[in-house]
Amino acid sequence: MKRFFGSALMRGLFWQVVGLLVGAGLVTGIRAIMGLSTIEGPFFFTEPAWVLGAFVGVICFLVGSGVTSDWIKWARGIDTPDHHEDHYTGWEKILNVSVDHKVIGIQYTMTALVLISLGGLFALIFRVELAQSGLQFLTQEFKLFDQNGLALYNSLMSLHGMVMIVSILLGTAGFINYVVPLLIGAQDMAFPRMNAFAYWIAPPAAVLLILSLILGGVSTGWTGYPPLSAKSPMGMQMFFLGVFVAGWSSILGALNNIVTVIRMRAKGMTAWKMPILVWAAVATSLISLTATQLIGLSFQLVMFQRLFGMGFFDPDKGGNPVLFQHLFWFYSHPAVYVFILPGLGVVSELLPVFVRKPLFGYRWIAMSSLGIALVGFVVWAHHMFTSGMNEYLRLPFMYSTLLVAIPTGVKFFSWTATLWGGKIRTPTPMLFVLGSIVVFLMGGLSGPPNATVSTDLHLHDTYFIVGHFHDTIFGGFVFPFFAAIYYWFPKATGRRMNEPLGKIHFWLMTPSFIALTLLMMRVGLIGMRRRIADYDPGLGIDGYHMIMTVMAFLIATSVLVFFYNFFTSLKKGEKAEGNLWNSRSPEWQVPSPMPAHNYETPFEVVGEPYDYGLKDNGFIKFIEPSKGAHK
Amino acid sequence: MSHSQDKSSALGQGVVIFVYLAVLTVLEYFVAISFNAVPLLVVVAVIKAGLVMYYYMHIYKLNQDDSQVDPHSHAYKTGSDRLGLWLFLLSDSFVFAGLLVTRINLLGLTRPNLNQTLGLIVTAVLLVSSFFMNRGETAMGYGDKKAFMTNTLITFVLGLGFLIGVVFVEWRLAAEEGLVASFGNPNVGPVGAVFYMMTGMHAFHVLTGLIFLGVVWNNARKGVYTAEKHWGVEAAAVYWHFVDLVWIFFYPALYLIGTAVK
Repeated sequence: MKRFFGSALMRGLFWQVVGLLVGAGLVTGIRAIMGLSTIEGPFFFTEPAWVLGAFVGVICFLVGSGVTSDWIKWARGIDTPDHHEDHYTGWEKILNVSVDHKVIGIQYTMTALVLISLGGLFALIFRVELAQSGLQFLTQEFKLFDQNGLALYNSLMSLHGMVMIVSILLGTAGFINYVVPLLIGAQDMAFPRMNAFAYWIAPPAAVLLILSLILGGVSTGWTGYPPLSAKSPMGMQMFFLGVFVAGWSSILGALNNIVTVIRMRAKGMTAWKMPILVWAAVATSLISLTATQLIGLSFQLVMFQRLFGMGFFDPDKGGNPVLFQHLFWFYSHPAVYVFILPGLGVVSELLPVFVRKPLFGYRWIAMSSLGIALVGFVVWAHHMFTSGMNEYLRLPFMYSTLLVAIPTGVKFFSWTATLWGGKIRTPTPMLFVLGSIVVFLMGGLSGPPNATVSTDLHLHDTYFIVGHFHDTIFGGFVFPFFAAIYYWFPKATGRRMNEPLGKIHFWLMTPSFIALTLLMMRVGLIGMRRRIADYDPGLGIDGYHMIMTVMAFLIATSVLVFFYNFFTSLKKGEKAEGNLWNSRSPEWQVPSPMPAHNYETPFEVVGEPYDYGLKDNGFIKFIEPSKGAHK
Repeated sequence: MSHSQDKSSALGQGVVIFVYLAVLTVLEYFVAISFNAVPLLVVVAVIKAGLVMYYYMHIYKLNQDDSQVDPHSHAYKTGSDRLGLWLFLLSDSFVFAGLLVTRINLLGLTRPNLNQTLGLIVTAVLLVSSFFMNRGETAMGYGDKKAFMTNTLITFVLGLGFLIGVVFVEWRLAAEEGLVASFGNPNVGPVGAVFYMMTGMHAFHVLTGLIFLGVVWNNARKGVYTAEKHWGVEAAAVYWHFVDLVWIFFYPALYLIGTAVK
């Protein structure tokens, strides 16, 4: 217990609370001196006090958790060793600061799983409310956190979106962090301390997002459009700040990842010999590195509009609310490629292993990731066809958006051709890979109607969109994420997860999910709008909504099965220390769990990464110590 | 060429580039006050940015081939650090690009009514600070700790002067011009909002640059850096020039382009 409360996470949270109170107190004191109001509203402190307090709290978390201590020493001119040995074992490893990319990858993954559960819980609550027309329990009379039922519905719906987005960013960072250095034969990431920093900035951001629910809620949906967001309760500020802080995790992680891949590849690993997941990680990182700044900026501008009355987006003062949407979507559309590209990389990575055939069109797949990333920068305004932006922008953005279908199509044809005539085995990871392909196809096919101006004018802000993006995100992230966990779990722990339970998880989740999203699209076409707590019984969609709610609970049950499997397998899972999946990939050529400093002897690339079923000498060969160049 | 000749030619290059930059800044100022030629201002800004990036920030060092260098050596790690820093600056420049887009969208071909003389003075101060930063970094490259510390101190003082000029003088004057209702009860239209946000975001970067300069100055005093190993100095210098680089675009965007409005 003492070790739990002494862990970096708990120390960080303690200092975050202290920092919040000190920062808020400071602003309150200054306001008192200036003769301004000090205590107002239902939340004790004033809005500026909360905002500065929350910001100071985040910094205090980082310093308090100890993740910045080496940098502080450097700033004082004290040198520190390149590598720190971990003193912790088991769960303590996860709760304390480590600079080992494998531990950080697991920390990311665990945090993502916690946030996915939280976001899922929010969804279940408002899904119950939607099961029938009329208000069930989130009524006007219902009061919680200074919100009535309808306001709470908005908060839960908004936070479901943003918490899930943050969890997806952390989840992709999780498997990228764990796997990419192993795939390229690096000892660690290029900047191990910054890697740890990028992870440890996420927990305080998550705290701020949860705080936004308590401090009056978020009424705008995850997009936070002004003018509404400029007038919403104070929770909005915590929401903006939380996303801003979480964005730094994304930016710094991406930076680290690009440098690692460019500078730390094994001997002989030229660009065209890199595993596809590495290509996907680089493509993703290019987007996160640059575009993330724009969502940070757009949210910052609304924060300043609220705090100082700066009329960026206030039409009364001559501002322009549509500008916010441009800045916001410049990140938030490419962001969906940040969510899906690593997942699609996992699909391409795992597929040949379980089909025992070379990956079809390796170079095309590698280039298609980059293609999606680059085209993704010029499609943002397809979210704004109904916003009142200049009409001449509609057509170019429609065509650029439809262009995304080409590199995406390349991936699909390549996967199909890889599957064709292969000796397909279907252990749990492969099931999730196949599920991903099917579900992402549904997401992909429902995309062009939204990209086409004429149809989008009808589909905008309906449940059709909700169905579409849940398909893309499940196909592009959730299924590959589970596939990655089932696939690399033995690598991290030396034990494998239970197969029958994994199959139950898959067969419970997939049909329910497909039914759920098909019905979402169906009710959307009938006239169900997004983001509303109630709907007209005259639409005749009560039955559909009831089925959707049941399906949502089935998905939740399947995730519970997954968690049970995950935690029991940690201790009691079947031992799997060898090359369990019979893979050519370098990380499976050494025993599991992975040694602390990855590869004892460096390797060089001697073949192609995915030439399964052909007679050759494999992908890599370990360099004998006597011939080693640097040891 | 001998060691000292090498050093003096490197310092000489810094002087020449500074003269180019100063002439271009004066040119841009007179172009703007005599006739309104936005494309010309853009061209001048791009040339200035190119000069700073190449000669002061040494962007070409990213292209050095070190594939034969031992990956565990300090030289190789510095190469990785350099790439990381430039990626960070790339990321950061998206914030400033976003602010420029905001300015163009909200203000178009109008600009805040600002004190031209003060604008030219703070711009010159920042440019001169970049010149001394370059001298300091070059000196450290030849192991001349004393010259490094003197030049960095001058850079620091000039940077502080810029910060004071913008935040304590320019902001107050702008408030008097009506860009902000009053301190404590601000109520700002898009002109004021854009002005305070752009200068504020830039001033925040100047402040972090000053902290960075203070840290490397103090570490140099302790003798942490040598002619071969001074990545901290290089990073601080490149970051400082980046702050100047941003101002190369922000100065014409705020002071020179378009017609002044109240």
